[in-house]
Amino acid sequence: MSKFNIIFRETATYRFYKLFIKQMREFLETVGNIALRLLESLKYIFTLQFKLSEVIEQSKRFAIDSLPITLTIVAMTAVIVSIQVAPELVKQGGKDYIGLLVALTMVREIGTIMSGFAIISMIGSAFASEIATMKVTDQIDALRVLQVSPIKYLFVPRILAGTIMMPFIVVIASVVGIIFGGLTAQMTSHEVSGLCYYTSVWHGLYVRDINIALFKASCFGGAIALVSSSCGYEAKNGAKGVGLATTKAVVWSFVTIVIIDYCFALFFYF
Amino acid sequence: MTIKINNLTKLYDDRKVLDDISFEVKDGEVLAVIGFSGSGKSTILKLISGLIEADGGEIKVDDGDIAMVFQYSALFDSLNVFDNISFALHERKEFRKKYTPEQIKFMVAKCLEIVGLPGIEEKFPHELSGGMQKRVSLARAIITNPKYILYDEPTAGLDPIASTVIENYILRLSQDIHATSVLVTHQMSTIKRCANRVIMLYNGKIVFEGTPDDLIKQDNPYTRQFVTGAIDGPMKITASSF
Repeated sequence: MSKFNIIFRETATYRFYKLFIKQMREFLETVGNIALRLLESLKYIFTLQFKLSEVIEQSKRFAIDSLPITLTIVAMTAVIVSIQVAPELVKQGGKDYIGLLVALTMVREIGTIMSGFAIISMIGSAFASEIATMKVTDQIDALRVLQVSPIKYLFVPRILAGTIMMPFIVVIASVVGIIFGGLTAQMTSHEVSGLCYYTSVWHGLYVRDINIALFKASCFGGAIALVSSSCGYEAKNGAKGVGLATTKAVVWSFVTIVIIDYCFALFFYF
Repeated sequence: MTIKINNLTKLYDDRKVLDDISFEVKDGEVLAVIGFSGSGKSTILKLISGLIEADGGEIKVDDGDIAMVFQYSALFDSLNVFDNISFALHERKEFRKKYTPEQIKFMVAKCLEIVGLPGIEEKFPHELSGGMQKRVSLARAIITNPKYILYDEPTAGLDPIASTVIENYILRLSQDIHATSVLVTHQMSTIKRCANRVIMLYNGKIVFEGTPDDLIKQDNPYTRQFVTGAIDGPMKITASSF
């Protein structure tokens, strides 16, 4: 190696580009792995090669474990929106639009995205750490030696559970959010009645909005399960690796659902 | 039921862990693979079982199920002993068609009896000692009646008595079900009692091949260093050896 090369390798520019290339390679590898596992999972789903009992088991976890925290987060967000918006709208003479605004916010965005965030922290992280632990303790290798596909056994039930259960969670969370938003609006201003609030909810909320929200929720659920499981599956190097995989799963799931949300907004509302 | 390995090469990050090695495991034989930590012993098992792919050479395995006993048992911690042992029978189509739930129950009970742990079907892995987990792992390996059994340090971390118990089961399994076995181990007692033949790896190459008796008697500098545990010798201890 020439003297120039040796000096060049010590420069900050070289190190920056080396790090950048390494990060890009890891990023592309993760995206590629997620895509490959999605394709393999779809193969098992469409050929009905999954155990229903396992899907039910994962669905119970997905819905029951995450519901309290999801409802708390969505209800609190609705209360905050209502506190911020209701007095202003009453001042401007728009008290008839408070319900509409809260409902639209809940159904189109907050209900779905906040539920997504809650589920990532509760269920996505659990999926990732479970699969990561299985990976670093050779349990995934044991599955493969026993000729059982880890994708079929671990990914498919989780993806199906997420895809099926997430719309139910979002419906419950949105309804709770709208109710809490209404109660808060009534408390912040005497001019807002329950009848006025709930009537306005239906003024601008269309079935199309609800359908889009359900479809989006389904995509969120499947994506959270897929990305979390996939990041867990990449784990290596013991306990530290499990921690890193779980963190990666949470970050990647957040980014994934925000990108999906952006695509939905662009496709359906732009 | 033989395993033939020809010119096998495996690299990890440009480091040749296995460098053009060839050997054969004969029908019903127990072959012990020894060497320092990081010398590629477990890599051989992973290559034979298909968990990883070789960078060169070929592995020819005659038809038949391959089972593996992992170093730390690798029992599924969310499942109880019954579900762990019967896992393949429940998950694999060919076995689901072949056996009824009653037959599976009987087979699990029989396997647990073989490994000397009858009646623990309902227990979970965390309720078992290390030695018991290894034996459950053995039971899980033999339930499909495999033609090949790969053991990755089956006696590692066990006390001498528990090690002897595991060695007895390895012997018994190779005699009873006539499985062709590859045994990775560091323990001389396991090699002496269980193996028919031994190969020793160093720097990705086979530096010794012979019987357990040859290992002790032959004047081979590599085996002498391994058997005596001497620091000085032809094998240099590096950071990756620990």
